[in-house]
Amino acid sequence: MKKFVISFAFIIVILFAVDRSVGRVMWWVNQHTNDVSGPKIKYLVNDVDEDMVLMGASRCNCHYVPSIISDSIGMSVYNGGVDASNNIYAHYIVLSHIMTHHKPRYVCLEVMTSDFEKSDDSFMTTTFFAPYFGINERADSVFRLAGTYTMYKVSHLYRYNAKSLSNILGLVVNRQQGGDNGYIPYPRTDNYPDTLIKSATVRDIDSTKLRYVQKFIDLCYANGTKVIFTVSPSYSIVDRDYYDVIKEVALHNDIPFMDYHTHGLFLEDAENFRDQIHLRDEESARRFSVIFAHDLKQVLERWNN
Amino acid sequence: MLFNSIAFLLFFPAVCLIYFLIPVHQMRIRNLFLLCASYYFYMNWEPVYALLLLSSTLVTYLAALGIESYARWKKTCLVGSIVVNISILFLFKYYNFLAGSIESLLTSCGLGIDIPKFSLLLPVGISFYIFQALGYSIDVYRGTTRVERDLATYALFVSFFPQLVAGPIERSNNLLPQFKAEHRFDYERVMEGLRMMLWGYFLKLALADRCGLIVDMVFNNVGSHNGGSYLMASVLFPFQIYGDFAGYSLIAIGAAKILGFQLMENFHRPYFAASIGEFWHRWHISLSTWFKDYVYIPLGGNRRGQARTYFNLFITFVVSGIWHGANWTFLCWGTLHGLFLCIEKALGIGRKKYSGWRKVGRIIVTFSLVSFAWILFRANSLSDAATIITGIFTRFDAPKREFANWFGIMIALGIMLYKELGEELGWKINPAESKSWTVRHLYIVLMIAYILLFGVLGGDQFIYFQF
Repeated sequence: MKKFVISFAFIIVILFAVDRSVGRVMWWVNQHTNDVSGPKIKYLVNDVDEDMVLMGASRCNCHYVPSIISDSIGMSVYNGGVDASNNIYAHYIVLSHIMTHHKPRYVCLEVMTSDFEKSDDSFMTTTFFAPYFGINERADSVFRLAGTYTMYKVSHLYRYNAKSLSNILGLVVNRQQGGDNGYIPYPRTDNYPDTLIKSATVRDIDSTKLRYVQKFIDLCYANGTKVIFTVSPSYSIVDRDYYDVIKEVALHNDIPFMDYHTHGLFLEDAENFRDQIHLRDEESARRFSVIFAHDLKQVLERWNN
Repeated sequence: MLFNSIAFLLFFPAVCLIYFLIPVHQMRIRNLFLLCASYYFYMNWEPVYALLLLSSTLVTYLAALGIESYARWKKTCLVGSIVVNISILFLFKYYNFLAGSIESLLTSCGLGIDIPKFSLLLPVGISFYIFQALGYSIDVYRGTTRVERDLATYALFVSFFPQLVAGPIERSNNLLPQFKAEHRFDYERVMEGLRMMLWGYFLKLALADRCGLIVDMVFNNVGSHNGGSYLMASVLFPFQIYGDFAGYSLIAIGAAKILGFQLMENFHRPYFAASIGEFWHRWHISLSTWFKDYVYIPLGGNRRGQARTYFNLFITFVVSGIWHGANWTFLCWGTLHGLFLCIEKALGIGRKKYSGWRKVGRIIVTFSLVSFAWILFRANSLSDAATIITGIFTRFDAPKREFANWFGIMIALGIMLYKELGEELGWKINPAESKSWTVRHLYIVLMIAYILLFGVLGGDQFIYFQF
């Protein structure tokens, strides 16, 4: 038993040393990587200073071209959409970090049904933001909810688990090329969706997520930031309004809701899309951004008058 | 409770601590404790299904007593045990599939009959513990194992938590006597068990689940991918299922070893097999030997002429396919392996010994055949499998870019190949077996660090749990 205790103690001590030292290396990697989302998260957490910040997941990242929107509304715009961070917990973490150093005039959130419906992996996407654990108590509260708080506290290596490989690869391969203030065009593809979605599974509403939607709105209002909700096009014809719940929230909070989903935009040709929920490429993103920018300008004008 | 969950990482040390705190000569108390721990482990999934485990245990326990006590009713007791256990398995695993298939057949004949179905969840590990319990009944009937009169010990044999839900499917004459032996805390054995568990976790979290990110994306959404992606997923799935299942087995064997129990080896570097026959001597060994002992040999094995041997072999593999799941894909997978083996036997391939580049060639051919068959195994339906197989040859295009995952897979595969190639060739290059105490311990530290940093820590299910 004595031998086992010595072995155990040795392993714990060396593991602690490796965890902390490699953790430091991974922090450096995280700050210098040219991966797709790493530099964007770093910018959002530390440096974003634009008047309008677009927030959301991949649909936000690849549908909104800031330069087009900026030209139309006459203010600086940053596309803060982070691939795969597709629910309100991730957006709340990002917003919490932003608000510590900058109060944008507007936050425009691209909402998805995963922002308010129940799902098995609700907290999976919060792991992308774990490298910034410990620097913002409000953001860390989401990790408490996710049950990862203690693990992040114990292991520094574990904080980098979700993005370790892509961050390291991002030191060698620059995936930030062609960027436009946060917008990074997806690579061209010959794929397009072969079926038009006519109905989708209706899931139960997640009351905790809805609470975080409200916390998101409250945090913006508390900092003098106005909120806009938007839904960009999908390759689907809806047989019901999947966003009715979030629209009610928007109505209750006096938030404009820009809905391009139920309008059936771009549905005339499947080749406008790369899959059922993403527009095909930069060209289709630009076409959509022109429409969005035009409508957004009117919303802001109405608002300000 | 999953092996790759925080709950298990708390549960297992607690079990070990209490187990070794119970005096070594108090075997009965130790066994009762392990029995309670095993049922607790199982009931973490769905408490009510512990009743099935208990039923199977009681039926086979009583049947064995009957076989020994009543010579005239020996056969009846065995048949009763088999019928009850197979009925449980059929009801939970195959009934809905059979009802659905009959419905489809009748519908295609113009008879729209609605056969009632059950909405039952498949109890975790049901095929494993039922086969283990059935093996015991048959062994007692054959007289190759002694009947176990102590119900608690027998119940522990069926439910022993390290191997309860996905094997290895243990034989009574190996595991039962171990519950009557004294297991002292042994430093070397415990460290070896820990290293086995760690390697199992590596295979599962760093290799299998990393491959799974790509494989699942393609196989679960076949229509959205091209031939390049199909090929990529088809090449990765063999490593995913190996990492997943061999990883599970190693964690099970390592955990049992720490407690002092020696479970049988379940995988022996299967992708280094030079023939399909050899592959089945290296892959899921506890199941293939179970089928050999309880299906192939009772059918006559190779003792009734060549044609009958082929037939027996073929049938054994068809049954093995069905054992894996109620889906035509598994049936076709088993059938294909049966065909491969018959062809190999007819050509005399399995009997030849190869060396050098010819052996390398045979290994590559065997791996390709096995990988091809895995497509049927993994596909969600036969039409998906057909789309994938034809797509590889007719719709070939560059696969979707998954740089980061590929990077992780290549590192994990490199580490796995380094270790397994070394073992296959007898090279002493595995740091886990170094003579140096420091190297062995640093190996443990680095493996844990690797898993923390690069492992897929989402708590995914093990593939074989569904069987």
